[in-house]
Amino acid sequence: MKHLKQQWQSRTSIVLIVSLLVSLLLVSLELTDWAAQINQQGYTHGAPDGEKPNIAPVLMYILPFVKELILIGVPMLLTLGIAKLIGLIKGMFKNKA
Amino acid sequence: MSDWKQNLQKFRYVMDTLLLISFMLVSAPQATGVPLHEWFSLVFIIPFVIHLLLHWDWIKRSFSRLFANITARERFNIVWDYLLYIMMLLVFVSGFLVSVALLPALNISLNIQDFWSKIHHDSATFIMPMLGVHLALNFSWIVKLTKRMFAMEAK
Repeated sequence: MKHLKQQWQSRTSIVLIVSLLVSLLLVSLELTDWAAQINQQGYTHGAPDGEKPNIAPVLMYILPFVKELILIGVPMLLTLGIAKLIGLIKGMFKNKA
Repeated sequence: MSDWKQNLQKFRYVMDTLLLISFMLVSAPQATGVPLHEWFSLVFIIPFVIHLLLHWDWIKRSFSRLFANITARERFNIVWDYLLYIMMLLVFVSGFLVSVALLPALNISLNIQDFWSKIHHDSATFIMPMLGVHLALNFSWIVKLTKRMFAMEAK
């Protein structure tokens, strides 16, 4: 806890102020032509209102977490693989030199 | 394990674990329901800010490190973390702008734009692989600390 208490008020203020400023910049995206185009086209995702997906109720609670594990886990493993590969290639070049 | 509050690395590990668990909870509105998802998102700000505070020295150093003679991996890691922070803010901002439970409960009414619905859906999906890469870039630290946290006390 002592690690958090270190100048926490000033640091938290800085984090919140910077985040607020960046957020305001992000909000201004709605003024772009891109936003106008999407608003004009309309956007929906998932099943229409009131329509329940045809899967077992227990899966309704499990599948979102499975989706998360895949969306986080696969890129993580790919990155680890690529990093290892780069390390191996660098090692080969070092041995040749 | 018992001294985790005193040791900075262990304290970071515990807080980062809580951050990951809360992130996974917040990222599953289909499982929690939208109202809980929105209230959890508000609470999620706390572990997110704690994460930034616990890595304050790294944040302070990172910008100047970008212009120093560093490895490509470290440079990529710094840029990636900045992008992850901006993406997290985009998820937050767009989420609040499409709120159907939290803001109405606080008597704040919004005209929800399709643009923000799309941005929220896309950025919330895209932040997951970004987090996966972030975890991979810090994987050696995660493995080292996991071993330290669960190491048997020397007899």
